[in-house]
Amino acid sequence: MTGRSRTAVLGLGLIAGAALLAGCSWLGDRFADDKTRGRALFVVHCADCHQAAHPELRKQPPKLEGLFQSKTLPSGAPATDAQVRKTIIEGRGTMPAFDQRLSEKDVDDLVRYLHTLK
Amino acid sequence: MVCLLLSQLRLNSSHYALIGEEPVNLRKLKLTSAVVLFVVSFVMVTASQNKSKRYNLRGEVLGKDPATNEITVKHGDIPGFMPAMSMPYKVKNPSVIQELQPGDKITAEVVVAGNGNDYWLENVRITDQSGRKAAKAAAPPHLLAVGEPVPTLPLTNQDGKTFRLSDFKGKAVLVTFIYTRCPMPTFCPRLSSQFARIHDDLKKTPDYYRKTHLLTISFDPKYDTAPVLRKYGLAYLDNDPSGFAHWDFASTTPGDLRQLASAFGLEYFEEDNQISHTMSIVLIAADGTVARYWSTEWTAAELEHALRDQAAKVATGSPQQAKQKSRP
Repeated sequence: MTGRSRTAVLGLGLIAGAALLAGCSWLGDRFADDKTRGRALFVVHCADCHQAAHPELRKQPPKLEGLFQSKTLPSGAPATDAQVRKTIIEGRGTMPAFDQRLSEKDVDDLVRYLHTLK
Repeated sequence: MVCLLLSQLRLNSSHYALIGEEPVNLRKLKLTSAVVLFVVSFVMVTASQNKSKRYNLRGEVLGKDPATNEITVKHGDIPGFMPAMSMPYKVKNPSVIQELQPGDKITAEVVVAGNGNDYWLENVRITDQSGRKAAKAAAPPHLLAVGEPVPTLPLTNQDGKTFRLSDFKGKAVLVTFIYTRCPMPTFCPRLSSQFARIHDDLKKTPDYYRKTHLLTISFDPKYDTAPVLRKYGLAYLDNDPSGFAHWDFASTTPGDLRQLASAFGLEYFEEDNQISHTMSIVLIAADGTVARYWSTEWTAAELEHALRDQAAKVATGSPQQAKQKSRP
């Protein structure tokens, strides 16, 4: 391989490396956006009940930290994405339903954010 | 920058070849350049991940809270950040909040911190102030005066049965308004929780239990159908359906609801699948007239005391029979 060819190969390799890194960056940004959305949706729709004490409520909403670290949800149902999605959309007990108020992506981002609560 | 380095690399390679340097120098140069390129790329990537992001917002101010330095904005879609909705935002510059008024149309930049854990508004600009007048001029709804008879509009309860407020003549009735999907703990969930407490207390004194009734009316009739209201009611009645004999959960047609809301001083409007609303609690005397109103300042003990006072005026006799006779 000539010096010029080696340079070309090296150049292409570096471009590919830079593109890979740029791709990682783009993916990282996408996840950061989703995390931001999930957190914002949590603050708007969930935090009022689940992160504050409300002695005037019939039942105290449970804290959601560590929700997915346990095998079961506070209700006793299995701590799965599907069950949490169902609870968000349909409500449970005195928890209101979020049916027709959150999009599929909203619920996806919320569930993803709930996974990060330790 | 990557292209620049590569072109520089080619030029340097040609130069070295022309002046006849040893190939080892060329290899060293290539290696050094590769390392530099990698480090530069890494720094660029890291910087791009830590850099805050900015999104353009256009919307209308619904309210402001100088104590928390937040404004609530009804905004359109913010591509890449948030779909159209109404939500609170912190404002970076506290002096801006003094200028803003409900009804103002604004543009602003949503700044999202690089770590994705915080966001706020910067460069807030008022583009239209004409909405202020409309927000101020919203006339208070007509309230029925104390002593006036309540409307006789038809309502449908959690079992799909139709009834009217006038059917409760002979009982003291406490009425309030909710929607089952309300996520605000200090509004509908609080109202229903406190009504449940009153219901539990009254149950302990059968005479008062018999002379009183609770009624929760939904202002979301499209969603709050009878089965939805039944499920909602059961959650506050500890899953005991016998409680519905003393506490109805009802809805009505949108038109009749407007009339009821007007009569009882309730304001509500729907936006983005959420309902903004005030609170209204009405005590109806046994003769079917308005006895008293509450809005935000009340306690369950106060409501129950007033309800018992009205019930105490009811002559012992036939309120239950009257209700059973008039309701299907």
